[in-house]
Amino acid sequence: MTVKLRVWRQTGPGQPGRMVDYVAHNVHPDMSFLEMLDVVNEDLIRKGEDPIAFDSDCREGICGSCGLVIDGIPHGPDKGATTCQVHMRRFTNSETITIEPFRARAFPVLKDLVVDRTAFDRIIAAGGYVSVNVGGAPDANSLPIAKDVADQAMDSAQCIGCGACVAACKNAAAHLFTSAKITHLGLLPQGEAERSRRVIRMVAQMDGEGFGSCSNEGECEAVCPKEIPISNIARMNRDFLRALIR
Amino acid sequence: MIPQKALSSSIGSKFLIALTGLSLVLFLVAHLAGNLLFIAGPDAFNHYSHSLISNPLVYGAEAGLLALFVLHIVKTVWMFAANRTARPERYAVRKWARKKNPSSRKTVASTTMILTGSITLLFVITHLVTFKFGPYYETAEGIRDLYRLQLAVFSDPTYVGFYLFCMAVIFFHLWHGISSAAQSFGIDSPHWTPRIIWTARLVTALLAAGFGLLPVFTFALSVN
Repeated sequence: MTVKLRVWRQTGPGQPGRMVDYVAHNVHPDMSFLEMLDVVNEDLIRKGEDPIAFDSDCREGICGSCGLVIDGIPHGPDKGATTCQVHMRRFTNSETITIEPFRARAFPVLKDLVVDRTAFDRIIAAGGYVSVNVGGAPDANSLPIAKDVADQAMDSAQCIGCGACVAACKNAAAHLFTSAKITHLGLLPQGEAERSRRVIRMVAQMDGEGFGSCSNEGECEAVCPKEIPISNIARMNRDFLRALIR
Repeated sequence: MIPQKALSSSIGSKFLIALTGLSLVLFLVAHLAGNLLFIAGPDAFNHYSHSLISNPLVYGAEAGLLALFVLHIVKTVWMFAANRTARPERYAVRKWARKKNPSSRKTVASTTMILTGSITLLFVITHLVTFKFGPYYETAEGIRDLYRLQLAVFSDPTYVGFYLFCMAVIFFHLWHGISSAAQSFGIDSPHWTPRIIWTARLVTALLAAGFGLLPVFTFALSVN
């Protein structure tokens, strides 16, 4: 199959960018979206042109590196999937596909489709951890945790920090990411000790990074490759308000 | 954390917006309950309104309402502006994610909150000018005849149309607003959240229907 691409090209941070049209020939329907871009890049390199820069690592949906806005939807059309898990069979022959980077003030474009997501790292550094002494791991049964609580914490821990939630939110808010970390740690006894301090510090860092506010629309949940629900955000709101009166 | 700083955070701001918004919804419920007395006839309606406006506590209540409105507006406008700066470069192509995953709660109502809110503000000002600061008619008993005023105002079909349009706008605002407030308060559970959303929408529909019924009823009465 052949597809037409409209791709955001930008030479570097702070540089003006523009949409550039390409045609990808010899695309196999079983190629992943990123493999299709690899083929396009090989062609560009052969022609002596600058290849399209994009992030990727594991290419199996677990690392959180890849992230493109495909036809206006972060990570493309497939529910619960990352960009690398999207296949070309989802598109039709000679279709035009628009590819853009995640857009947010807190995620500045480094080059083409690559954005700087270190704002997420700084939110984690502000409180997304548990302070425990190193040493032999205690026996698992010494800390009983109800099955549903453990499941919920694991569901939130699935967040791979890809930033699609920010990309999809009309306000470029990072509430789903931050709340998933807060829920994951706060639900477990190991995270309870720092629960109040954690939520206050992480929310302050999140606001300081220039992300927007939550309008409770749930577009973040809809594009999240791990389908993390916005009930995490409600929990973060609850924890934040609770921390204020403590 | 300093409370002032907490309340200007993204979560604290949304909490205040939700709190003031829900308080205004409670006011709307009381307002509608009082207005429905119009159907009971001029005596019931005028005596009710007289007891309300002659009560000295009404000034405190009005000041409170004004404070709720101002806080709600200041916080939302400030937040709207901040949210715009959070994405300086817009997308060339933008689509709602509902098709990808129906879990999204995004609706036309949720995307037009600042617009419907602005129209509501203009409506409230017009509404106050028309009724509260409108022509002063007196009944034979010497109290303000708001029944006559309402009859006069809604005898004009243009005003009935304008009023119905504004009720539709407020309906849109609350369609998202009430259930969104619950989320901002942090109220959420797999069992209760769907029920909260539908209850909020039912309350919205009942309020809009009630407030929409009155101008139509009054117009019908004036025609007869």
